[in-house]
Amino acid sequence: MAKQKLLVSKSSARSTVLVILSLLFFLVFVASMSNWFGLGDAIASSEALVRIAMRDEWLLVLLILPILGGFLQLSLGSKHVKWRDRVVIGTTFLDLALSLLIYPNALDGGIQIDFPRLLGLGLHFHVDMLGYAMILITNVVWLFVMIFTHVYIGHEKRSTRFYFFLALTYAMVLGAVAAADLFTMYLYFEIMTVASYLLVVHDQKDDSIKAAGTYLFMGLFGGFLILAAMLLLYFEVGDLRFLSALNALNDVGSIKYWILGLLIAGFGVKAGVVPLHIWLPRAHPVAPTPASALLSGILIKVGAYGILRVATSYYFPLEGSADATWLTVKTVGFFVIWLGILTMSVGVFMALQQAHVKKMLAYHSVSQMGYIVMGVGIAMYLGDHGAIGYAGAVYHILNHALFKSLLFLVAGVVSHHTHEMDMYKLGGLWKKLPVTTILSIVASLGIAGIPLFNGFVSKSILHHGIVEAVHEGSWVFQIAEIVFLVVSAGTVASFVKMNYHLFFKKTERKYDSIGFEWDGMNAAMIGLSFFIVAIGLAPGFLIETVILPQIRLMGFDPHFVEEAFAHLEYFNPTDILTMAGVAAAGYLIFHFGTKHHWFHLHLPRWMSFDYLIIFPLYQLLYRSCKILDRKNQAKWEEDERLLSIAGTNDTDTFSRIRRAVVRLSDATEGPIMQGDALIYAGLIAASLIILFLTAI
Amino acid sequence: MIENLPILVVLAMVVFAVTIPFWKKLSFRFTLILGGIVLVSALVANVAIWNHVQANGEILFRFGGHLPFLGIEFKIDAFASMFSLFVATLSLLIYLYSSGDKTEGIEQPEFFRFYVLFFLMLFSMYGILFSNDIFNTYVFIEILSLTSCAIVSIKRKKEAYAAAFRYVMLNEIGSLSFLLGIAFLYMSTGRLNIDLLRDALHTGTIQANVWMAVAFFTAGLGLKAAVFPFHIWLPDAYASAPTTSSAMLSSIVSKMYLVILIKVYAKVFGFDLLKGSALSTLLLVLASLGMILGSVYALAQKDLKRMLGYSSVSQIGYVLLGIAFFSEAGLRSAFFHMISHGLTKAALFLAVGIVIYLKQSRSVKGFEGTGFQMPIAMSVFAVAAFSMIGIPLTSGFIAKWNLGIAAETASQFGFLVLIVVSSFLNAMYFLPILFTAFFKDPADGPQRAKPEKIPAPMLVSIGALAVMILLLGIFPDWLMTMIDVVLAGF
Repeated sequence: MAKQKLLVSKSSARSTVLVILSLLFFLVFVASMSNWFGLGDAIASSEALVRIAMRDEWLLVLLILPILGGFLQLSLGSKHVKWRDRVVIGTTFLDLALSLLIYPNALDGGIQIDFPRLLGLGLHFHVDMLGYAMILITNVVWLFVMIFTHVYIGHEKRSTRFYFFLALTYAMVLGAVAAADLFTMYLYFEIMTVASYLLVVHDQKDDSIKAAGTYLFMGLFGGFLILAAMLLLYFEVGDLRFLSALNALNDVGSIKYWILGLLIAGFGVKAGVVPLHIWLPRAHPVAPTPASALLSGILIKVGAYGILRVATSYYFPLEGSADATWLTVKTVGFFVIWLGILTMSVGVFMALQQAHVKKMLAYHSVSQMGYIVMGVGIAMYLGDHGAIGYAGAVYHILNHALFKSLLFLVAGVVSHHTHEMDMYKLGGLWKKLPVTTILSIVASLGIAGIPLFNGFVSKSILHHGIVEAVHEGSWVFQIAEIVFLVVSAGTVASFVKMNYHLFFKKTERKYDSIGFEWDGMNAAMIGLSFFIVAIGLAPGFLIETVILPQIRLMGFDPHFVEEAFAHLEYFNPTDILTMAGVAAAGYLIFHFGTKHHWFHLHLPRWMSFDYLIIFPLYQLLYRSCKILDRKNQAKWEEDERLLSIAGTNDTDTFSRIRRAVVRLSDATEGPIMQGDALIYAGLIAASLIILFLTAI
Repeated sequence: MIENLPILVVLAMVVFAVTIPFWKKLSFRFTLILGGIVLVSALVANVAIWNHVQANGEILFRFGGHLPFLGIEFKIDAFASMFSLFVATLSLLIYLYSSGDKTEGIEQPEFFRFYVLFFLMLFSMYGILFSNDIFNTYVFIEILSLTSCAIVSIKRKKEAYAAAFRYVMLNEIGSLSFLLGIAFLYMSTGRLNIDLLRDALHTGTIQANVWMAVAFFTAGLGLKAAVFPFHIWLPDAYASAPTTSSAMLSSIVSKMYLVILIKVYAKVFGFDLLKGSALSTLLLVLASLGMILGSVYALAQKDLKRMLGYSSVSQIGYVLLGIAFFSEAGLRSAFFHMISHGLTKAALFLAVGIVIYLKQSRSVKGFEGTGFQMPIAMSVFAVAAFSMIGIPLTSGFIAKWNLGIAAETASQFGFLVLIVVSSFLNAMYFLPILFTAFFKDPADGPQRAKPEKIPAPMLVSIGALAVMILLLGIFPDWLMTMIDVVLAGF
C-alpha cells in the first residue's frame, strides 16, 4: 500500500527548528565561554547582563518550572493537544536556557538557597560545578527526549498523565542534584523513585505492573538504607550538609564504615550496581521508550552522583589535612573499585546474551554504570591523587547520558516502525531507515569509545585512573585493568552485533509499511548525536568548563591535579592504539561468537541473582514455615508442585517471599488468637517475676 | 472564665449525649447539626485552653473545693491540652464523615444510638485526659471500654457481636488489671491523687508492691492499647465494626490508652525510677515484636480492615518503642507518632469505608479500577499509605525520623534496622493495593469508569485529613514546638 505522505510535516518542521535553535544556543554558550570573537569579554563587560545572570533566584525558577509546566499541561489535557505539547517542550527549553544562564553564578562559588523551616530540618540547595554538570546534562537530554516524545507518543493513550509524571520526575531529578545536604537530596530522591515508577508502569499491562513493582520496591529499599545512614550521620555529626564530616566521624569507630556502606548500597540500588541491579533489565523493556531513555540516561546517574557526592564530601578532609584522614575513604574505595569491575563485567556479559534490544541496552547501562562506579572508587582509593578517577566518573556520566539515551531512542524508532524488538528477527533496516542507522552507528561509536566520539575521552581517563591505581596502589589492580579492557572489547562486540542484526544483516523481510519521513524524532536524535560528535572532537571543553573547576575545589592535591590535567593530550598515540586494540578484539569476539554461538548461553535457573541472594533467605523462611505448619502438609505440597510447574524466571522473588510470609502468619495466627488467656497469664507472670527480681 | 472551659467541654459532651433521644424527636438532621455545633465549640474551646495553658501554666480544678487527697481534681496542663486538641480535631472530622454516612449499614433507627455512644466516648476521653485522680481515670476508662465495645457491636450482626464480646472480655481484664494496680498503689501510699502519689512514691524506699503495680498497669493498659501480644481482640473488632467506629477506635481510642500509660509512667512513677529497670527492656521487646509481627500478619490478610487492624498493632509498637526509651527524645517521637498515626489511620479507615461500601466487598483483591471510580478516596488512601511507609513530605516520615533519633539517643542503634525493616514491610502490603487500584483495569468494565457520587461531607472529611497529613509532613515545626512545651512540664 503506497503511502502518500508529506516528506516533512508542519510539526516536524517545528521540532527541527527547535532542535537547531537549542544547538545554536549551545554554540553561543560555548562561544562566550571560550571567548570566540571576543564574545566572552563582551558579555562580561556588560554589567547589566552580568548582574542578571548572577541572581540566585534563577536556580529556584529552574527547579520549580517543570512542576508548573506539569500542572499547566495537565489542565490543558487531551483537549488542547497542540498547546499541551507546546507547554511541555517550552518548559524544557526554558529550563535548558536557564541552566546555561546560571553557569557563571555556579562557577563563582556556587549558588546557595536555603529554606530553613520546612520539613523539620529545612531544605537547602547548593549548586557547585558537580551539581551544575548534572543539571546541564539533565536539561540537554530531557529537552531532546521531550521533542522525541511528542512525536512518539502521539498514538499512546493517557499521554497527558505521562507528561505530568515526566515533569514531576524532571523536577525531582533537578532538586536531587541541586541539594546541599543529604536530607534534601533524600526527599527529592524518594519522590523521584515514586514518580519514575509511575512512568514505568504507564501501559498498565501485567508485565509492566510486575516489573514496575520490582523497581519501586527496590527503589524504596535503597531509600530506606539511605534513611538509616542519614539517621546515623545526623546523630553523629549533627549536620547533614555536604561538607567534610571527618572531624566528627574519626572517633566513632566502625560506624563511619557502616554509614558509607549503607549510603553506597542505598544509592547503588538506583545506580544499578551489581547485585542490586536486578530491577534494571526488567523495568527497561516494559517502559515506554522515552521513559527508558530517561531512566537509563538520567535517573541511574543520580544514583552514581549520590555515591560520588557522599563519598567525596563527608569523607574527604578539608584542604591540607594529614594523611591519616584519608584512610576511611581509601579503604572503602578499594572495594568500590572492585564493585565497579564486577558490575561492568556482569553487565556486558549479560548484554551479549540478550536478543531483546532494550534488555541488551539495559544491561549495557549496568555495565557503563560499572565504569562510573569504578571511577568513583578510584577517586576514593587514590585519596588526594584521586582527581583522575573523579574526572573520569563525571565525564562518563555526561557521555553515557548522551549516547545511552540516543541508543534507546533508536530502539524506540525501530520498534515504532517494525513492532519487533528481537534483534535476531530484524535486519536490513538501513535501506528503509537510513538516518536512524547513521545515528545508531554514531551512538555505538560513542559507547564503544572510538576516538573522535565522546566515549573515547572518558574511557581513556578512566583507563589512566586504573593505571594510576596500579602505580600507587597494589598490583592487584592489574587484573582490574585487564578486565576493564576486556569489558570494553565486549562492549564493542555487543554493538557490532546489535547494529549488524538490526540494520545490516541480509534478510528476506520486507518492510513495506515503513515510508521515509522526516519527523521530530529524527530531529531530536540528531540533536543528541551532535553533542556526541562535538564532545568527541573537542573533549577539552567540558573538562575546562565544568570538571576542572570542581576538582580544584575539592581536597585533591593541587600539584598533582595540574600535572595530570594540564598536560593531558586527549588524542595521544597510546590511548588511540589501546582503543584500536580493544576495537579489534571486540570485532573478533563478535565474529567468533556468532560463528560458535557464544551468544545464546542459557544460564541454569539457579544462577540468577534472585536465586543467589534471596533464595537462601526464602528457603529458610519456607522451611521454618513448613515446620510450624505441620497440620497443613497438603497445602505446602500443593504449593511446591505449583512452583515447579511455573516458568523459569516467572516466579518473582518478592511474591515468593510474600507467599512464605503469608504461610507463616496463617500458621501462627490461629494459635495466638485462641490462646489469649494463656498468653496473658503467661506474660503477666513473666513480667511480674522479672520486675520482682529487679526490685529485690 | 477560661478556667471553666475544660469542665464545660466535658459537660457539653455528656449532656448532649444524654439528650440526643429528645433532639432526634424534632428531626435527625437537627440533631446532626447540633452535634456539629457542640464539636466545633469544643474544638474552639480547646484552642483557647491550649493558649491559656501555654501562657499561664496549668489549670487546676477541684470538684467541690475539696482538698486533693480527699476530692477529685482535674489538672489541665500542656500535656492534657495538646491531646484534647487532638481528640477534638479528629472527632470533628470523623463526625463530619459519619454525618454523610451511607456506608456500611448502621441502620436508620440505630443512628441516634451511635451518636449517643460517640459523645459518651468523647466525654470519657476528655475525662481521662483531664483527670488528676487515678481512680477517677479508672472510672472514665471503664466508660470508654463499654461505650467503645457497644460502638463495635452496633451493627447487630453475629460476627460483630462475637468480636465485641471478645473485645469487652479482654478489655475488662485490662481494666481489672488497672484497678489492681491502683489497689497496690493505694496499699503502699494511701493516696489516689496523681500528684500526691508521686510525692509519696518518691520519699522512702520503693516497696515490692509498687513494682507489682507497675506490672499490672503495663499489662492492663497494654491489653487495652493492643500491644503485642495482647492485640488479639483488635483485628476482629476493627473488621466487624462499622467504618466510623473503626476509625474512632483506631485513631483516637487506642491513643488514649497509650496516653494514660505515659501519664502513669511519667506522672505517677516518674521516669527516673523506671529508666534503668527491666521494664524498659520488656517494653522494648514487646514493641519490637509488635512492629515486625504486626506488619507480617498484615501482609497475610485477605480482609482489608483486618489488614488495617494489624497495621495499627505495628504502629502502636512504634509508639511503645518511643515510650520504652524513657527519655525526652523518646517521648517526643511517641507524641508525634501518636498524632501522626491518628490522622493517618483515620484517613485510611474512612477512605477504605467508602471503597468497601461501593464495592460491597472487604477483600484486599477487589481493588481494580477503584482509582478511577473513587479518585478522591483512593488519593487520600495513597497519601495515607505513603505516610505509613514513611515517604518524605508526609507526617509519617517525620515520625519515623524522630523515632530513629530517639533510638540513637538511647544508644540503641539496632532499632534503626527494625524501623527500616518494618517500613519496608508496610510498603509490601500497602503498595500492591495502590498498584491494583490505579493501574489494573476491572475485569468487567471499561478502564475509566465514571467516578461514583459520594456524599460531600465524607469527601471533605477525608480530604481535610489528607491535607493535614501533608501539612504536618512539610511544616512539622509548629507541632514540634507544641510538643516541646509539653515536654517541659515533665
